[in-house]
Amino acid sequence: MRLIPGWHGRIEMTLSPLMQIENLSVDAATERGTAHLLHHVSLDIARGRILGVVGESGSGKSTLASCLLRLLPSNVTRVEGRLIFDGVDLMTLDADAMNAYRGRRIAMIFQDPMTALNPLFTIGTHLIDVLRRRDSGIDRELALATAEAMLTTVGVPDARLRLGAYPHQLSGGMRQRVMIAMALLVEPDLLLADEPTTALDATIEAQIVQLFDELRQRFSGSIVFISHHLGLVAELCDDLCVMYGGTVVETGPVADVVADPRHPYTKALLACEIDPDGDGKLLSIRGDVPDPVNEGGQCVFAPRCGHVIAGCVSNEPPLQAIGEVRRAACIRAHEILP
Amino acid sequence: MGITAETARYLASRLVTSIIIVFGAMLLLFTLSALVPGDPAVTLLGPQATPELAAHFIREMGLDQPLHIRLWRFFSNVLTGNLGQDVLSGRYVTGMVGAVLPSTIILTFMAIFLAVLFGVPLGCFAATHRGSFFDHVLAILSVTFIAIPSFVVAIFLLLVFAIWLDWLPVLGTSGTGSFADEAKRMILPTIALAIGWIGFIARLVRSSMLEILGENHIRTMRAYGLPERLIVYKYALKNACIPIIAILGLGIGRLLGGAVLVEIVFSRPGLGRLVYDAIAARNYPVLQGSVLVVVLLFVVTNLLVDLSYSAIDPRIRRRAEREGMPK
Ligand SMILES: Nc1ncnc2c1ncn2[C@@H]1O[C@H](COP(=O)(O)OP(=O)(O)O)[C@@H](O)[C@H]1O
Ligand SMILES: [Mg+2]
Repeated sequence: MRLIPGWHGRIEMTLSPLMQIENLSVDAATERGTAHLLHHVSLDIARGRILGVVGESGSGKSTLASCLLRLLPSNVTRVEGRLIFDGVDLMTLDADAMNAYRGRRIAMIFQDPMTALNPLFTIGTHLIDVLRRRDSGIDRELALATAEAMLTTVGVPDARLRLGAYPHQLSGGMRQRVMIAMALLVEPDLLLADEPTTALDATIEAQIVQLFDELRQRFSGSIVFISHHLGLVAELCDDLCVMYGGTVVETGPVADVVADPRHPYTKALLACEIDPDGDGKLLSIRGDVPDPVNEGGQCVFAPRCGHVIAGCVSNEPPLQAIGEVRRAACIRAHEILP
Repeated sequence: MGITAETARYLASRLVTSIIIVFGAMLLLFTLSALVPGDPAVTLLGPQATPELAAHFIREMGLDQPLHIRLWRFFSNVLTGNLGQDVLSGRYVTGMVGAVLPSTIILTFMAIFLAVLFGVPLGCFAATHRGSFFDHVLAILSVTFIAIPSFVVAIFLLLVFAIWLDWLPVLGTSGTGSFADEAKRMILPTIALAIGWIGFIARLVRSSMLEILGENHIRTMRAYGLPERLIVYKYALKNACIPIIAILGLGIGRLLGGAVLVEIVFSRPGLGRLVYDAIAARNYPVLQGSVLVVVLLFVVTNLLVDLSYSAIDPRIRRRAEREGMPK
């Protein structure tokens, strides 16, 4: 519950973004050839706001998140672009300097809480080691008390007892709360949450989303909330970034984008949120997400798009400005009506 | 970690299984001895034995009794610690085995200790430096030493270090009881027995380490910027230990087999020599008693392995409970 809706936004937007991703491209080697995991991604993460990143599975959302931490799979062959975090280009840092950002200024929550914790160590051991990383001199009792308080904050009952529990003794929802507590213990400037609710069932999902909503009041940093569920992002986030085929196809304040989508893919995603016959089954977009091993040279969405013209397949559409704060990568962005 | 009701139940269930295994082995050994083809007196004493001697022997050994009486006697003897008597000298097998057992156990455990002491760090280093020069050299050396039987290594070591270089004594024991001397004489047998296992454990640690380092929970630790040393040696190594303990449990049988041969090469007293001499002289009770002791060793080690498992992995304690152990 915010007292003044949108309050963060109006003040913070005048400041420079916390993170500016400029022209980020990532390639990886596969048996079939070079996969273009990310392709000229440019995106700003505003201070103190929640940025929702949506797109079907396989759009490159997780790759983007790991790229922000510079933790990429071993088969990645090329990373280009700039990752300017609070004035520093993370891409230019050496391994130690980059590691100093992880678990201090940037923290991450992963999709699958069932495997994100080491099964042989207690919750307490995990949390204390994360705390020690910030403050190596912290005394064990103080660390335990801090961890306990944070677990209570994120809604873990009997927090003291849970510190001695092993991951398998907690439910998925509880484990995800532990992961959220771990991230908050770090007091990061940027919190990356990669589909934190996808592995959970619907009621638990709603509780975790609620928790994120409550966090906005006590957490002053920025959040990147990744999801393949546009409806959820629309509820929770301030800004929206729609990804498709390793590219950003549309960005802008969430309310504006949802009210008036400018990219056919965003529109198609929105249409999927409507449940036409009320049977709980959502529509899905016709066709498949593009293979990351591709030639490029055309709009990534063209094969599935109902508005294709010749220009769509002869060139890659640039991300062009629509008004002051919005952008869309569609050459027909100005003519397509909602 | 205190003993909870859960752990106690698990312990009890493993104990029951172990007892069943030992009983099964006893039954098998008894059946084999009862099934030895031909006249047992001739088999054991040799064709030259006089009929009087054979008859006396059969009475002495109780071989004229019906099978069920013999079975009962065998079991009750073994349970009271009596493994029977040496056919030739009449000495008690329990005493004979007991006299040489410590020597074999010390050799085997020194070898395990050495294998873990060197194998684990080498494997960790190879895993964290995958594809490096060191990794390749270690791979080649490991495979070589795994493939060469320990008694061949023993002969080779004996030739090089005891005969050509004359740095270490030829015999694996002096019999003087001087600790320094015995320790020096143990060096070559221990290395001969351990070297293949060092390579084996290094390979095992390397592969399970590489697998673990790719798991999600390690990615979490990396994402939180924890030092690589902490990630590898605290978080990943504990996971990597589980298959190593399992292999050691299974390998103890092979290791004892290796110890037997190494003992023979170095003329060290031990279970190896005892079994070897018993086979050569067809001394069946000694053979039977020794094998039973080896089975017992195997079962006890595996019990220890299982217990250390459940100490390391909290999920196993729970699995034991779920499977409905006897309460
Ligand atoms: N290391 C990799 N090597 C090759 N292809 C990859 C690799 N990682 C991801 N991909 C591919 O890149 C695409 C984007 O993956 P990902 O970032 O996980 O998407 P999302 O999180 O949006 O589902 C997928 O098609 C995936 O198969
Ligand atoms: Mg993903």
